[in-house]
Parts: sequence; structure tokens; C-alpha cells
Amino acid sequence: MTPNIAIVRIETPHWRMPGLWIPLFLLWIPALLLSPLIFAVLLGLCIAGRVSPWRAIAVFWSILCSLPGTNVRVQSDGNRVFVRIL
Amino acid sequence: MNENRRQILEMLAAGKITADEAERLIAALEPEPATTVGEFNGKTAGNGAAPAKIHPKYLRVLVEANEKDDGPTTVNVRVPMQLLRAGVRLASLIPKQAHDQLDETLSKHGVPLTLSQIKPENLEELIDHLEDLTVDVDAKEEKAKVRVFCE
Repeated sequence: MTPNIAIVRIETPHWRMPGLWIPLFLLWIPALLLSPLIFAVLLGLCIAGRVSPWRAIAVFWSILCSLPGTNVRVQSDGNRVFVRIL
Repeated sequence: MNENRRQILEMLAAGKITADEAERLIAALEPEPATTVGEFNGKTAGNGAAPAKIHPKYLRVLVEANEKDDGPTTVNVRVPMQLLRAGVRLASLIPKQAHDQLDETLSKHGVPLTLSQIKPENLEELIDHLEDLTVDVDAKEEKAKVRVFCE
């Protein structure tokens, strides 16, 4: 499953941002529109690097699909950053 | 997309619940982590049934540092094991000519690792061993604590 939503929350001692829900699934629209260009660039890079383009696509797709569930929380000196990918 | 998750998102879009409530509901949908890594945590089907090993789903990295100038710093990262598997596969995309240069540079810096040896057949073995990994680093002088474990 590809990531659908990213939740970003930033807090400082003086300011607190409410949880920002970023709809990652909407990125499919520009990605599909630019897919011929992306594919051409990827193909060029793969030929230059002598790597199978299908293998490259498979690896990047598997990375993309395994991103949901990733959590990052950083807290320092009263500042907090929280990123979660669903 | 999971049906329950879709319903929560629809409720959020309709304004029936707040973003925080939706986050809590989605978090509640996620399966409970294993209580003890690598240990049996289920019921046996009979007297002679072998215990089922629970495979952890996430690698957790916790860092707590107490620096003099910046105060306490905490980093808490949860990475899905599936992402590790996919990440290791990235090594297969490195061109062959770059492998030799990388291996040479790594060995120069005291890391005797041969990237070309990372193949799909020993990838699973690598991940399996990682599941039993627990690293605790407690540097009292630096006032830093690092914990790496699977859950």
C-alpha cells in the first residue's frame, strides 16, 4: 500500500501547530501527468548506470509501499517535531 | 486501502471527527506490538504444537541526550521492517564498477563489507537476525542513551 497521508506536527515553547494532514495520495495526479517525463529520466539514468530499469522501478516501488508506519519524533530544548506516515 | 481506515478518513472529510480523533482511531487500528521480541506470545493448538515465533514489524531507535548547552534532546524513530528490506535491495542498483570503489573505501575506513555479497538469498537471513537485535548504549559521561530494538 502506498502512503496516503503524512501527519506533521511542530511545537515550540511559544507556539503549537495543530496536526497537519498532508494528503500524499493527491501527489498521484502530478505523478501520473509527469509519468512520461519521469520514465524517460529514469530510463536514461538506468542506461547510464547500466542497471535494469525494471529492477529500479521494483526497488523504488517497494520502498514507496513500505513507507506507511514510519514515525519520527524529535524533541529538543522545548521544540518538538513529529512526522508520521500513514 | 483498509476499509476501516477509509471510513475514518471519510468521517474526517465530512467533519464528523477532528484530525486528532482520526489519528487516535487510526492508531488504534494498528496491531499491538509484540510484548517480547522473538518470544512465544500465543496459544498452542495442542500439547505438542510448536510455539509460533512472532515477527516484529518495526525497528525502533531511541536516542536520549542531555547536552550542556541545548538541554535534553530526544529522538524516537520507528521504521517498518519492510522498509529495511526494501532499503537493502537498493544495493542491487549500485553499478558494478561503483561496488569495487565502495568496497575499497569502506575497507579503508575499517568496515570490511563487500556490497556485492548482499544478495536476495541472504537478505532474509540478515533481516531475521536483525529481529533479535537489541542494542543498549548508556554513555554516562556524555549523558546519552541509545536504544535500538525491534517491536
